[in-house]
Amino acid sequence: MEEATPRLGGPEARIAQENESHTLVQSEIDLDVVREMLSHFHYRDYQQAQELILSALQEINEHFGWVSFDAAELVAEHFGTTATRVYALLTFYADFRTEPRGKHFMLLCHGMACYVMGSQRLVQNLEDVWGISDGGTTSDGELTVQVVNGCLGVCDRAPICKLDADYLGDLTVERLNDAIRNAIARGGSWRDAHHPVAAGSNHGD
Amino acid sequence: MATRLDSRAAFERLRDDARQRWDAMWNGDRMVVSVGIDSSSQAKGARQVLAACQRALQGTNAIVREVSGNGAMWMEPFVEIRRPGEPPVVYGWITPEDVPDLLAGRLQERAVGVRGAEPFGDIQPLDEHPFFKHQLRIVLDNVGIIEPGSIEDAIARGAYSSLAKVLFDMTPEEAIAEVTAANLRGRGGAGFPAGIKWESGRKARARPKFVAVNSHEGEPNVYKDRRIHEGDPHKILEGMLISSIVCGAERAYNYIGGEYPLAIQRFRKAVADAERLGLIGENILGSGKSVEVRVLTGGGAYICGEGSALMYSIMGVRGQPRTKPPRSVEEGLWKRPTILNNTETLSNVPAIIDRGGEWFSQIGTSKSAGTKLMTIQGPLKHVGLVEVRMGTTLRTLIEEVWGGMRDGHEFRGIQTGGVSAGALSEQYLDYSVDFDSLTEVGGMLGSGGFVVFDQHVCPVDFARYLTAFNRVESCSKCVPCRLGNPALVEIVDRIRLGGGAIEDLSLIERTSKHVIELSLCGLGQVAPMPLLGMMKMYPESFREHIEQHICEAGVCQLGEPATIAIAAD
Repeated sequence: MEEATPRLGGPEARIAQENESHTLVQSEIDLDVVREMLSHFHYRDYQQAQELILSALQEINEHFGWVSFDAAELVAEHFGTTATRVYALLTFYADFRTEPRGKHFMLLCHGMACYVMGSQRLVQNLEDVWGISDGGTTSDGELTVQVVNGCLGVCDRAPICKLDADYLGDLTVERLNDAIRNAIARGGSWRDAHHPVAAGSNHGD
Repeated sequence: MATRLDSRAAFERLRDDARQRWDAMWNGDRMVVSVGIDSSSQAKGARQVLAACQRALQGTNAIVREVSGNGAMWMEPFVEIRRPGEPPVVYGWITPEDVPDLLAGRLQERAVGVRGAEPFGDIQPLDEHPFFKHQLRIVLDNVGIIEPGSIEDAIARGAYSSLAKVLFDMTPEEAIAEVTAANLRGRGGAGFPAGIKWESGRKARARPKFVAVNSHEGEPNVYKDRRIHEGDPHKILEGMLISSIVCGAERAYNYIGGEYPLAIQRFRKAVADAERLGLIGENILGSGKSVEVRVLTGGGAYICGEGSALMYSIMGVRGQPRTKPPRSVEEGLWKRPTILNNTETLSNVPAIIDRGGEWFSQIGTSKSAGTKLMTIQGPLKHVGLVEVRMGTTLRTLIEEVWGGMRDGHEFRGIQTGGVSAGALSEQYLDYSVDFDSLTEVGGMLGSGGFVVFDQHVCPVDFARYLTAFNRVESCSKCVPCRLGNPALVEIVDRIRLGGGAIEDLSLIERTSKHVIELSLCGLGQVAPMPLLGMMKMYPESFREHIEQHICEAGVCQLGEPATIAIAAD
């Protein structure tokens, strides 16, 4: 999990790809919004500051769909640590993305309940038909898929996915592909359906 | 809502008021409509059903409540209706369009049961339904009944009374003695006695001390702790507070998986409400005792369910386990003694304090006291979360509680212990569910998430899935786990795709031995168990793939080239 698997094309291609997505990003994350979000994270000592880093990253990731390098630097600055350290977290925990999401976002459950009801075929289908695997985005930027290793907890309708705001259960390969095509045809994006985790009272004092 | 309570008497006044209001609601002349909303029913449109009920009853004096799901996922979304003079009746499979008919009493055929002891007309009590009949609800007693967003509902049903008892009527030693007498064992999988853990925590000298709750649940088949958070967050909170007070901890942390927004939201609301009432913070109910509560969220790494990894994650670094000793109760969060308990374990504590350790120890079996939350997945009729006595057999669970296999599906096996143990075939179904019995035959209770699979699932492919999970979720800190699991995936892939040799079976055993004996943490040490378990339970499937290139279930793509597994994903 720690080191990214080198992609086809060798290290050069990978750096080029990262640079490309890096430039694409800058405009997408409004750093003032990040600053505003961070201003709600109060801490009274070093320990509490460290404890809040992950929660802050969750919130940013949830809001923008990913965390850019610049946002990570702001987080580091706010909590008195280094961007390297923040990046170590972003690349360790599966929920975080360091590249933007496509227009539509799908969580495809691959928990054990979904597996025994055939989700392996759905994962395979994403590769065969849409050319993407876990964490990938289609080349036209329409769809990003995250394969969930945990459990979405709607096991009576397995296999299931969450596409933007909608849960789709009892999936077959055909239903999955239809749902993706419909979402793309309808337009809009995961942001329209976005209901962030209600910010709690536990951001410190 | 009342302001900060500064004494036990003030708390008891509030409790009496809350009880009176609760009784008045259920005995009064107003209609009470409760809609079960949790992360599973939401996915089926329960919010829209709630909105439809609110619209339809606007301008009437009916009370519309947002309760949580009651575990019966198979009948969601459900609505409970109590008409004046009648008992509350639960109706299942309700869509927003059904609501007008439902409220007008024209959908009697959807009635699942009466919440009460007596039948009402043709409708039988809910507890007579096979799904509920075998259950004993200690942890879940309020789930689906109270509004999780209402601390008054919880208090009316007994919440925080055990906290008051611990604060004012008991010494910490007496409280620990009750937990020890109850024989309450850790519900996260290891089964370590909570009383002994608390005792060591209490004796630890270093200051400050902390309590941490493991609500991470990163396994691919478990959602029990999520449902306690969604249904009765105050139960967990009260357990945390009691544990903190008897162990002398200044601060309690609840570490919740970040993927569960509703659980986090409802738990945070519970904390805020309890804080406002003075049940958390400085000088709780004027007792002189203080506990601070912090809620933290994880980032979707399975490894953070391991104790030391969880603590690193709370401290804002990568969740990678460390070698032990020192144990976390000696040196945990911020190098201070930390008492770590599973959510379900703590949720049993208020009842134990209230009714006594002796009472609790009589439930279940002699070595595994109490109840266990169990989740089931797979092609069964009544998929959901149940709370059953320890010692219930797998057969009772599968055939009665969970309603047996769906039509067209034939039982082939049941995977026990999440990704940490083996599957069991039909001949083992008379073993009982407790901490020790299943281990004898290569199964495991684990955190109570069982998965039934049918003839459409190939044991070799399933073994590959489970091994691949452990490979992807390896934190990569120690070599045996980081390299051993990819090696195992590669060997199984060879077999699965028809390129395996019979020697591969002994190669799996040798490689597994290394991973089991040399891995750093408990999760690495059991990573090969599901694969070994599948090989033991279904040896013929492995042989067929190797010798005859046949996959009976028709799942494996025999003849496809096997790709070489890469160490780190």
